[in-house]
Amino acid sequence: MVKWEYSESIESDSIVSIQDKYGHFIDGKFSTPNSKNYLKTVSPSTEEVLASISIGNEKDVDKAVNAAKEGFKRWSKTTPSERAKYLYKLARLIQERSREFAVLESIDGGKPIKESRDFDLPQVASNFFYFAGWADKLDISWGAKEMKPYGVVGQIIPWNFPLLMLAWKVAPALATGNTVVLKPAETTPLTALLFAELCEEVGLPKGVFNLVTGDGTTGAELVNHEGISKIAFTGSTSVGKYIQNAVGERDIGLTLELGGKAANIVYNDAALDQAVEGVVNGIFFNQGHVCCAGSRLLLQEDIHDEFINKLEKRMQTLRVGNPLDKNTDIGAINSKEQLDKITSLVNEGVNDGGELFQIECELPSTGYWYRPSLFTNVQPSYNIAREEIFGPVLTTLTFRTPEEAVEIANNTEYGLSAGIWTEKGSKILWTADRLDAGVIWANTFNKFDPSSPFGGYKESGFGREGGRHGLLSYLKVRS
Amino acid sequence: MTEIKKTYKNYVDGKYVRSESGKTYTVELKSESYELPLTSKKDLRDAVTSSKSGFDSWNKLSQYNRTQIIYRLSEMIEGNRDSYVEILLDYGLTKAAANKDIDNAINTIVWYAGLADKWEQLTGNLNPVVGEYFNISHQEPIGVVFSLNSTEISIDKLLSSFLPALSIGCSVINLSEKNAVLSLKLAEDINNSDLPSGALNLLSGDFSKILDDVSRHVEINALASYKKLNKENLKIINENASTSVKRIFHLPSEEGLSSILPFIETKTVWHPKGR
Amino acid sequence: MSNINTKALASPLTWASTIELLESVKVDEIGVKERVASLSTRSIKRESKLQALNYIVSMCDLTTLEGEDTEGKVLQMTAKAMRPDPTDKEVPSAAAVCVYPSLVSTAKEIIGTSNVKVASVSSYFPSGQVPLESKLLDTKFAIDEGADEIDIVINRKAFFEGDYRKVFDEIAALKEACGNIHLKTILEVGELRTYENIKKASLIALAAGSDFIKTSTGKISNGSSKEACLVMAKAVYEFKESSGFSAGIKVAGGIRNSKDAIRYLIIIKEELGEDWLHADYFRFGASSLLDDVLKQIRKLKTNAYQSSYYFPRG
Repeated sequence: MVKWEYSESIESDSIVSIQDKYGHFIDGKFSTPNSKNYLKTVSPSTEEVLASISIGNEKDVDKAVNAAKEGFKRWSKTTPSERAKYLYKLARLIQERSREFAVLESIDGGKPIKESRDFDLPQVASNFFYFAGWADKLDISWGAKEMKPYGVVGQIIPWNFPLLMLAWKVAPALATGNTVVLKPAETTPLTALLFAELCEEVGLPKGVFNLVTGDGTTGAELVNHEGISKIAFTGSTSVGKYIQNAVGERDIGLTLELGGKAANIVYNDAALDQAVEGVVNGIFFNQGHVCCAGSRLLLQEDIHDEFINKLEKRMQTLRVGNPLDKNTDIGAINSKEQLDKITSLVNEGVNDGGELFQIECELPSTGYWYRPSLFTNVQPSYNIAREEIFGPVLTTLTFRTPEEAVEIANNTEYGLSAGIWTEKGSKILWTADRLDAGVIWANTFNKFDPSSPFGGYKESGFGREGGRHGLLSYLKVRS
Repeated sequence: MTEIKKTYKNYVDGKYVRSESGKTYTVELKSESYELPLTSKKDLRDAVTSSKSGFDSWNKLSQYNRTQIIYRLSEMIEGNRDSYVEILLDYGLTKAAANKDIDNAINTIVWYAGLADKWEQLTGNLNPVVGEYFNISHQEPIGVVFSLNSTEISIDKLLSSFLPALSIGCSVINLSEKNAVLSLKLAEDINNSDLPSGALNLLSGDFSKILDDVSRHVEINALASYKKLNKENLKIINENASTSVKRIFHLPSEEGLSSILPFIETKTVWHPKGR
Repeated sequence: MSNINTKALASPLTWASTIELLESVKVDEIGVKERVASLSTRSIKRESKLQALNYIVSMCDLTTLEGEDTEGKVLQMTAKAMRPDPTDKEVPSAAAVCVYPSLVSTAKEIIGTSNVKVASVSSYFPSGQVPLESKLLDTKFAIDEGADEIDIVINRKAFFEGDYRKVFDEIAALKEACGNIHLKTILEVGELRTYENIKKASLIALAAGSDFIKTSTGKISNGSSKEACLVMAKAVYEFKESSGFSAGIKVAGGIRNSKDAIRYLIIIKEELGEDWLHADYFRFGASSLLDDVLKQIRKLKTNAYQSSYYFPRG
């Protein structure tokens, strides 16, 4: 019998043009960096070098912060309604050029085009639309006498949702009257650089949005710069701790959105088929490069076997491959470094005694790839049950009672997100009340909306992004 | 006749305790001199243990009940007004200023008492997300809060350094330094109230002696300083806090809704709407 | 293509084991919709599209179920089912024609040795609002006339009154009457409305011995839906897990174009697997769908958009 295979359906990359070399975007224009050092941004699906990116040094950061200081004076002179209009214009332009952004995001970061097209870009635009509307309503947002912007905000964003994390940071910061120096991740700077072009196009006042590319050293320069009044960081817990430490004697604002090891709790009275979908989406969305990924599957013991059967069957239908193929579910691992980290943690899990299931599929010969993986027979003490893997690897634990589920779920230093699956409403509320997590998805997972606050408990960070609460991250408030 | 002088002690876990170190420090006032416990690292740890269980017992009570317990405090302070005025005078306030401070303090208590069962309605909300989802930002108290009282001689300021966190369900470890006679005096009324043991622990001492431990202790969820800290202290606090991503609030708002914002964790819950 | 007769026939479970299946039925509506929405973004191009279109032709139950049906109409349609595109030999025949019992013998007349089956609706299609005795008579008549396959409707009155046992017993009785004849049971998902009802009805129909479960009579406005198809696929899978029997699914009611039909195929492929991509396991009940599919096939081969007048009337 002939199998019905989906033919390749490749999104054309002719829409994007990538320069050989990029400078920083400072004071409303691209300029030649002071730093002579460059890094190469590579497509993780082909290992092809895409462009040379400046590694911003102290002088570059200093120039950007000073531009942002001047920009703050200009930005403060604009009316709230004008600031709103700039953000609306940016939102419109993003919508107009969303296909270009989506393709670029998939090329530079390795995520499937169906996600960059159907998730990242629509969310990017909606975040700018949403926060644009707050710019002229800050006075009524929290009913406070005083809602003052910090001034110059230093923002450092990760490589998993490059443009969306930019939107989460830049839209509320500008809407609340701050100006920004943003450092995108070293492996995924291209969409941020394209966004800078849009800022030029809408005529955003000079110095309001500044972009310095680079690596960790550039980030450190930004964090340590005396001219910064607030730092907003999304990334790993270890770097978050470094930043809080680096704040030191300075009395400045800080919000951190860090790692997670979310429990996805499936009770025996859940709608199991939809729970399987939610669990798959929870861990394999964006190759598992998601801080709020449901990476610990907590199964009630009596449904363990049935659920694992369904889950493995469903996992086997995941399509791994070329991010630009519209039928790809799982794209490339973002970098060689990340691939090595995932591989080593999985090996450790196997050595510890975990039972590993990986789907059967062909992987492209070049690029960085990892098979969707599921661990069963895992003890809570194993590293794979404790450490954030940040890859397509799900770890299963079991529980007997709701109390035990909550105990296991909270038995981690992280507290970003959690999932609950049961058809019993009161059990959802009981469980949600007891979970230490900033975002809880009940009978769904990995849902996002600009109006919905996102952020962690415990060592997953502090502050919220999104919603009315997200404004507080960028304002000094006095009643 | 020999004057019997009252010994002030720390108030921890519903009991008056000396510092386990036995150390004290002297607060010289106009007419009296007080020997107050110099809170040690061990005392702090005991207070954290107490606050952990105090958090649970405080949260087991309904908001309605918490409102009444806090309100009752205003009745007790009014009843003991004279003894508070006496201490304030001893600290150098005029009688008018002392009485004004008590008036303010009572108003502050009344305000936070009435907030205890309303704050979530003011800070939480439904979020209009796209799609068939119910989405609510539920508000939770952050947990154990360490608060450093300001240096002002004021019952009102003292209350404003713990009521914001306490009224929304946090348990609070409050440290006062030179003005600690006020807080240790207040401990008596707290003890007579229905506040569960450990919900509020009142300590006296020198913050610089314990700040290293305070900022390092993982089970203190947030540190709020109503006293302006010097750079050296801020540096230690931030560095220590970073090891467990502790929330640090330097000179937070002391009144109104903004005063409680540091102590809230926002928990956003999604659920589909379907048949 | 079609080799229905080689496929094992279903045999009913006991009512007791059916109850067990029903007890655990829980379906989340939004989860179902999201899964369907996600599968609907699959992009089917070139060779895979041509292959899909050929599948769809081979899975078509070309249908006419109107009061105005005549022998002439049925003969035209049957001829078309046998050779949907006389100019292109690579285009397969349809799976079956589907007619009222009184027209079964007419269709059989010209079928000859063709693989095309003759299916008939019975059991007082589409409402089923008569006593079981009448449904049995109706069905026996269609079988006597030569029907290869019987499409019945479930007793929605009994279903909504909570009498699942009666729904089950009626199907089981009709299954017995069918013997070796293939039984497709129509749930009428648009009336059942909730996905839990659809899943329950699917499991009852499967447990009572249906060889296929079918979405709709095509006589109501909200006939088939991809969401219903997904839920039915889940039921088929679950039933296979518990009983070992691989039942088929027929989607009917409102599927009018190729793009839509391909999305159903995707659901079946991804939920049940390649084994189900065969007329033995998956059917489209349709009248106007076939012409659109034929146009698309010729478009793919000639790269020119087509007109209906190139294809014989059905």
